[in-house]
Amino acid sequence: MSDFYISQVDPNDARTMARVDGLLTREGIRRDGNLDYTCAMFDENGQAVATGSCFGNTLRCFAVSGAHQGEGLLNQIVTHLIDYQAARGQFHLFLYTKAEAARFFTDLGFHEIARVSGKLVFMENRRGGFSGYLKRLEKTKKSGVSAAVVMNANPFTFGHQYLAEQAAASCDALHLFVVSEDLSFFPFAVRKRLVELGTAHLSNVILHDCGPYIISSATFPSYFLKDETAVIEGQARLDVEVFKQIAGILNISSRWAGEEGASRVTSLYNRVMAEELPKAGIRFVEIPRAGACGAVISASSVRACLRSGDFETLEKLVPAGTLHYLMSPEAEPVLRKLRSAKDVAHY
Amino acid sequence: MEIKQPAVAGTLESSDCMVTVEPGQGEIELDLDSVVIRQYGRQIRKVIHETLDRLDVKNARVTVVDKGALDCTIKARVECAVYRSNGIKDNLPWGGVIK
Repeated sequence: MSDFYISQVDPNDARTMARVDGLLTREGIRRDGNLDYTCAMFDENGQAVATGSCFGNTLRCFAVSGAHQGEGLLNQIVTHLIDYQAARGQFHLFLYTKAEAARFFTDLGFHEIARVSGKLVFMENRRGGFSGYLKRLEKTKKSGVSAAVVMNANPFTFGHQYLAEQAAASCDALHLFVVSEDLSFFPFAVRKRLVELGTAHLSNVILHDCGPYIISSATFPSYFLKDETAVIEGQARLDVEVFKQIAGILNISSRWAGEEGASRVTSLYNRVMAEELPKAGIRFVEIPRAGACGAVISASSVRACLRSGDFETLEKLVPAGTLHYLMSPEAEPVLRKLRSAKDVAHY
Repeated sequence: MEIKQPAVAGTLESSDCMVTVEPGQGEIELDLDSVVIRQYGRQIRKVIHETLDRLDVKNARVTVVDKGALDCTIKARVECAVYRSNGIKDNLPWGGVIK
């Protein structure tokens, strides 16, 4: 047991943060742009010898000084972060780490979910977590040709509906995954309900929750929060690796998405899918977006209409179910949030 | 005792273990990771089950990550996690049973 002490690092404490950054850089790790808690262990001279951080339900940005490896410092850092997460009610935790460090986390009760070969490994602290999710999905497996769409539907538009219709027409069963993470303007329960209403006329659609596994703040935080291109790409690759496993279970042979012009994240994500999915024998189909009023329909443009109160245009962009919800008192808090937001477009 | 809310006790340091208890699905579901599972896995499971039994815990998901803890440590960590889950912070009835 070392005499080093662990303490929280205040993000505004530039001096201490610089020490943490120095340690991360020396160990070849870049500090994530989005973190909500950082701790570090200091030696008797006040030098940072180990560090780790949290964001949401994830642990990340671990480093132990080369001079102190093999002393069990990582164990203490992880313990500290697990205690911190427990105090804020998070027990199902995720992390990603460099492939060569994964075995240390295996020893600390973390289990591999997916890996981008040679780059990073994505893990969770629940043995039956992802395998349980796959097992539940497997019950919905259908014979014949299966396809998949993943959507955030924030909120559900004619564009989403068009994509679902096109994909559903191409196969015997369309597995439609709705992003579960509650980091978007519209709450998950509402988004899912509107997807359900908007696809009710398609008899071969099976709805699923993405859970913490596809496009979640664990696998793909940069989908929700701004980050750099390299980070987005790394996370997109990981997300695609997770999807490949899901596709394997459900026998999905194609993944459908709308062409993306406006959002940097989504277009990067589409590019990664186009590159990676065919390697696993999954066709990636990118279809031109449905248009209205001389422009393509996107959830971002719907949110822009809502912000400016342009309900006339709105009618041309969203199906009846969504429109009905948007006009209802239930939508009021979300609309208020939209009106006061600086930026409503997906970056 | 009932597992009312998830709780953690212990650490991941050598010779200790970290115990997480969560509300279960009608039974005791134990997930054990141990560095000495081949040598002592059966004994560790026995200690955990005995401790839960004595605390009258019948319904819980219990995750234990063991780093070579002695039986007394395992027992103390399990008890502590169960007490924390019940919000008991004072006058801990170590080794006893709370009704």
